[in-house]
Formats: sequence, structure tokens, C-alpha cells
Amino acid sequence: MKSSRKLGLVMIAPAAIMIILFFLLPVVLTAVFSMTNMTTATGISGGVYQIAPNSLITLKSTMPDIAAELAEPRYAIDEAGLKAVEGLGLAPGIAAELRAKHAGEVFPTRREAERMIKDLAERPSTRDVKQISEQFNRSVVNTRFDSKEELFSALDTLGLKLTPEQKETVAQATYTGWTWTTDNFSRIASSPDMARVLLNTALYVALVLTLFNVGYALLLAIWTHYMPPTPASIFRGIWLLPRITPVVIYVMLWKWLAWDTGFISVLMGKFGYPPKNYLLDTAYHAWFFVVLINGFIGASMGMLVFSSAMKAIPKSQFYASEVDGASRWQQIRYIILPQMRWPILFVTCYQTLSLLASFNEILLATNGGPGNATEVWALSAYHTALRNYAGNLEYGLGAAMALVLVVIGVTLSLLYLRVFNYGTLVAKPLIED
Amino acid sequence: MTILPTLKSLAVAAAILASTSAFALAKDVTINVWAGGTGPNDVYRLDAIEIAAQQLQRQAALKGEDLKITVEKKAYSGWDDFKQALTLAAEAKTAPNIVVSGHEDIAPWSQAGLIVPVEDYVDLDAWPLNGIYENLLQIASYNGTVYGIPQDAESRPMFFWKPYMKAIGYSDADLDALPQSVQDGKYTMKNLLEDAKKMQEKGLVQPGYGFYPRTSNGPDYWQFYTSFGGAMEENGKLVFDKAAMTRTYQFFADAVKAGVTKKNHIGMPGDQWWKEVATGKAGIWDGGTWHYARLVNQEGLKDFFANVIFTLIPAGEGGKANTLTHPLVYLLTAGHDKEDTDIAAQLITIASEPRINALHAVKSAHLGISEAESEVDFYSADRWTREATERLLPHANAMPNNSDFGKYWNIMWKNLEASWTGAKSVDAAVSDAESELKSTLGDKIVIR
Repeated sequence: MKSSRKLGLVMIAPAAIMIILFFLLPVVLTAVFSMTNMTTATGISGGVYQIAPNSLITLKSTMPDIAAELAEPRYAIDEAGLKAVEGLGLAPGIAAELRAKHAGEVFPTRREAERMIKDLAERPSTRDVKQISEQFNRSVVNTRFDSKEELFSALDTLGLKLTPEQKETVAQATYTGWTWTTDNFSRIASSPDMARVLLNTALYVALVLTLFNVGYALLLAIWTHYMPPTPASIFRGIWLLPRITPVVIYVMLWKWLAWDTGFISVLMGKFGYPPKNYLLDTAYHAWFFVVLINGFIGASMGMLVFSSAMKAIPKSQFYASEVDGASRWQQIRYIILPQMRWPILFVTCYQTLSLLASFNEILLATNGGPGNATEVWALSAYHTALRNYAGNLEYGLGAAMALVLVVIGVTLSLLYLRVFNYGTLVAKPLIED
Repeated sequence: MTILPTLKSLAVAAAILASTSAFALAKDVTINVWAGGTGPNDVYRLDAIEIAAQQLQRQAALKGEDLKITVEKKAYSGWDDFKQALTLAAEAKTAPNIVVSGHEDIAPWSQAGLIVPVEDYVDLDAWPLNGIYENLLQIASYNGTVYGIPQDAESRPMFFWKPYMKAIGYSDADLDALPQSVQDGKYTMKNLLEDAKKMQEKGLVQPGYGFYPRTSNGPDYWQFYTSFGGAMEENGKLVFDKAAMTRTYQFFADAVKAGVTKKNHIGMPGDQWWKEVATGKAGIWDGGTWHYARLVNQEGLKDFFANVIFTLIPAGEGGKANTLTHPLVYLLTAGHDKEDTDIAAQLITIASEPRINALHAVKSAHLGISEAESEVDFYSADRWTREATERLLPHANAMPNNSDFGKYWNIMWKNLEASWTGAKSVDAAVSDAESELKSTLGDKIVIR
């Protein structure tokens, strides 16, 4: 018994590893990222401490004297620097001339110090000039410190008398990396645009799901159910085409149809209507096309599931009902639909989740426009985390948005299972008791 | 007799050693260069590095070094994809050695440690870098450190279709004087909308084609904000000027209301826009100096100067005529061998020489980066580069290098698009932008 249990664990191990790596980990990482203010500017792997003029702006209001002192760049030709230059292994004349002519001088910027170095009799190469000037750098401006300890020891060598609290304040102001925060969620909760995007998402999922993925799919399945087998198969095959066409090409076809140089405009032009971009003309137009594009792709899956479920209904039930004089509508109402409960549950649940997360068709067709009218949650998360004209991608906020989507998805799944009474579906058949 | 094989093997060993010491002087380097926003007219952004590599190899040969540089080039036509790819590659430590990107990336990328200061590797006091316009070098700097070497300059003018301007009553003399009267603030945004309306009323252009601006997000829209008196940054802090932003949003809402700009203009296919402005379907539009190259080379507008006149972006209420320069810069990425980065820096330096840079400027209709370049006959003989440099560059602003500017930009753009399409009223868009800026940037932005 014991060994078989162990064997079971071994057998399940590959699946368990896959589940953890590819299903659980992304969600966990999303949750972790969502609690940070991570952006391109903060980096992903972590930050450093950099006393840059820009980071000192905030420090200026609380500690003006220290901020001014820190921002001071200095290049001092002192003995320590000269010793260091001697150790570089360059031509000996360089250090000697520096000591003889320039010892004790202080230069406010690196460029000025380097100009002096370039004027030495034995003119060093650009690379050596950089190396020499670095030996005289007596400021911490723009130096990157990997840890707080390095930063504090540099502050100490500068001769700044700072209390531990002041040091911590400096460290906080000069840290370039990301920090833990819950701000993303308060931004999501307080932004009027986020509320609008959420509403868009609800509308998108509801419309596509009810009109196409379930409604139209059911209609197609019933139609083909009553057709002779060969035309039914051809019909179903045609309905599969949008699903198997590459999305980019499929959306291009719609654009070709709806653009102001497209088919509809040309056709309407024959009747004297000026061409217009039907796809993006108004929010209503955009929604119309977004729902159609996604609906025609999504309807095929429900159609296949429902068709095969209908095939499983015993033929005798249809024959018996016909003998009783039942109409087609009565057959649909009293035979087909009651037995379609579980397929409908499955398709509704599955398609809700995939619609919640899907955005590629909308990205390609309207990119959320016009005026963010068709911006749905997943697209907005993508735009936030991975698209920015100015190159500053907001990973943290994007992750928080993705996490909200995960929570909505899980909640909805549980709700569906409850409404459709999943318990009875998986209950043991009575015959086995 | 046993000494012979020993000698033999010693000789072989010596030969191998000798050959490796000969190879020690040889160096094979592969330098990767990526460039964003790079179409067929902008290939010299990458090719200039290749030309520079040949020059550097020759220099090395004279010093007795056997240096072999292979340049691997990658051009991205768009910006979003490029920036996404570069950021993620840099985070994964697989970034190219040299990146050609907009100067506004310097702030976030340097803060994240993705790029290193170029001034650590080059001599800014030596030719050709000491000849680069000082303001361009400023734009390529952050925190007082020079991070990039300007690769080009440009500005973003307003274009007018000459025949239509004549048809609504402008004489040749009026048109010749137009750039100056825009510059003096006599011809304003208000006049622009009126002229666009006149063109439509006369049936010269279709409704919505009077004023035909850029169809997607881009630096152009900051010019309108400046035009209406807005400032982007002051003393290192970002600025959101509510009144100026309201006037900017209102301008586009008014243009839509007057029917001179399409409500659904944003997001229309780029190719269609190009074709339309090149064939006189649109009356007035804004764009970059580099549009000249595309209009003439790809879109078939042969007689540009007979058909198009260009000016600064006219002044709006509260502001002045302006244009924006958005130089691309050569940047050095972090995480490479110091020697390789040093070679990359030398290549950038050579590529910035006036003659080599002029190839890019003339082919792509961008502007030169140094005074010396405008003295190169090949450059100054080109009418477009000469006129655009003289007329626009002295009035050019730039966007700030601030690591939070991207967030500001997103919020500004989102609400501009919403008020443009009527999804929000202008007041609601400005107030939404304000509240989102407050919650996003806190005291890093001054709202006034």
C-alpha cells in the first residue's frame, strides 16, 4: 500500500512540476509584481543607490544643506589620487607632471579636469585620460552604489556628518530600484478610466458570449442537427474557417471591408455616400465590429461542442416525440435544451474566461479606439505593462491589472459552478452504490 | 637519437606558441546595433556604424593591430515594438552594444542601469564631437552627464498645400511671407482653423480633410501644448498647466466640431494618411522634417516646393510659435565587455563626422548635428535640409529627459484622444488627467 502510494507520487510528479511551472508560477509572479512600483526606470532585477541631481530634488525640500553638499561635483588633485595614478602603470612622466604642476588644484567638473590632463606633455589616450580623472574624483555625484553600506561609507569618506536617520533618508531618496507598494491597487480603484475599462470589459464579454459564443453557436448546432449529414459537415467546416485563419489576416480582411478605402465605402460611394472609416467612425461602429470579429471566431467552438452533445441524445427520443406529434420547437424546448445543460455550462464558463483574457483581435482591429471606447481590461494591462511610446513600461501596474483579471476569472468560474450545480454533475451514479 | 623527437615536439610547441602570440594582437569584435523608427530612408543610422568600422579597422592596422569588426544591424520600423524588445533584451542581459533611440529614453534607461554614459568613453573636446550643437548635446544629457551622441536632429513643421491656399485667396507674396508671419505670431491656430474651413467650404478638400494631423500618438502633440502656452518641465520637475492643456484639448475638439478634422482620425491606417497628404487630399497637416524624404521618395510627390509650404507650429492663445526637435541618439548599453564598449564608442564618434552624418541627413531629410555639417557642400546644396535648418531649428524645443515623463505622456495622450473623439468633454478630460497625474506622480509633477 505504502509503496503504491509512493509510486503514485512519482507518476504524478511530471504533471505536478508542469502545473507549478506553467500554471501556478505565472500567477504567483503576477501577484508579486503587482505589489511593486516596477517600471522600466526602476528595472526588474533591482536598483542601486545613485546620488544624481535628479534624485536630490525631493531631498532639497527636507535637507537643503545636505542635498547641496551631495550635489557638488569635485575633482581634487591630491596625494591619494596621485599615488593611485602612479599605480596605474602609465608613463611615469604623467604622475610626475601632475604632482609638480597641479597638486592641490580642484576642478568643479570632470570635463575641466580632463582638459587639464589632456594638456600634459605626455598626452595620454582618451581611455587613459578617463582612468586618470577617475582617481581624482572626490564626489559621489552620479556614482552608482550597489548597497546601502557602500553608499554610507562613501558619505563618511566625504566627511559629511549624518545621523543614521538622515543616512536612511538619503538612501531612500537616491534608490533607483522598485519598492513594495499597494499603490497600484489604489490607482486602479480611484481612476475614472479604469472604471470605464472595466465596464467595457463587462460589455464585451456579455455581448460576445450571449450573442455568439453560446447563442449563435447553439443556433448553428440546432440548424446543422436537422440537416442531412453531408451539408451539415460542410456547413460546420465553413464556420470553422475564422477560427483557423491566422488572426492578423482575419482582422486585415475586416479592415479591408470597413476602412474608408475599403469595400463598404466603395459600395456606398456608388450610392453617393462619402467614404468613411466604418470601423472607427464612432464608438458604436467600433463595438459592432469588435463583437462581430470576436463572435465569428468564437462561435465555432460552441457549435462543435453542442453538435456533438446533440448527437449523443438517443435518436429514440426524437422518434418518440415525432410519433406524439411534437413540432421542431417542442423538440428543441423539451428534448434538446434540457440535455444541453452541461455543454452550455462548459462553453459559457470556458468562453467567459477566454474572452476576459483575449485582446489580440481588438488590438489589431481598433487598438482600443476610438478614444479608448473599446479598450478592454486585458488590452489595457498589455498597453500599461508592455507598450509605451516613451519607453517607460509600467510592469507593476500592469501586473496589478492582470491580477484583478485573475481574481475576476476565478470568482466567475466558482459562480458558474454554483449556478449550474456542478456537484450533481460529478456525483457518483446511483447504480454504483 | 632520442633527442630528435623531443626537439621536434619542442619546435612544434614553440611554433604553436608563436602563432598564438601573433593572434594575441588580432581581435575579432562583433558590434550589434539596433535602431528604432527606422524605415528605408533612415538606413544610415545603421550603415554609418559600418562605415565607421572600416575606418577604425584601418586606423588599427596602422598601429599594427589586427582588428576585425563585424557590425550586426537590426532596424525596427516602429517604436513600440522596438522599445519593448530593447527593454526586455537589456533586462535579460542580451542588449545590443549600440542603440539608436529617442533622447527621452535616456532618463528611464540610465536610471535602470541599462545604458552607460557615453562621456565615460569618448573625448567630447575632440573633433567631431566638439562641433555638435551644444543644445543637442544638452538634450542627450541627464543629471549633468552626457549619455548619448546625437545621431540626427529634426523639427516638426506645419505643412500647407499651396494650390489650396492660393484658391482661398493667398497670393504668392502672402505665401512667401507666411513662415515669417507664423514666427511673428501674426498667423495663429485660429487662422489655421479658419483657412481649413475655407478650403472645405470651397470644395477643395472633402469634409474632415481641412486640418489633417498626425494619426497616432507622438511628440507632435506636445508642440500644440507648447503652442497654447504649456510647459513640460521646469527646474527638474514636470509641469501640468491646466489652462494650456484645456486650450490644447479644446483646439482639437473645436477642429472636430467645425468638421475640419475627422472625429475618427486617430488610429486610421498610416499608409492611407501618407498617400492622402502626398496627393493633395488634405489642406493643412503637421509632421516631421523627415516627412519630406517619404513624400518625395515613396509617395510620389515630385514637385514638393511647388505644392507645399512649411512653417513653425503657429501660436495659440497664451503661447508662441514653436517646433520640437526630437533627436535620436546613439546610446551605449551596459553589461558588455569594457573593450567592446570602447570600440562601440569609437564607432559612434567616427559615425558622427560631418560627411558621414550628412549621408543620413540628406537621405532621410533629417537635420544635421553640427555647424561643420552645414558647411559640407553635399548637405548645404540640398534645398530641403538648408531651408528647414534655417527656418525651424533656431526655434526648436525638446521634450524633457525625466524618468517619469512617459507616465505623464500616457495620461496626457489618453485624455486628448478621449476629448478628441467626444468620449469625454474637454473639462472632464483635463480633470481626469489631473486626478490621475496626482495619484500617479504625486509631488513629482507641478499642477497649476
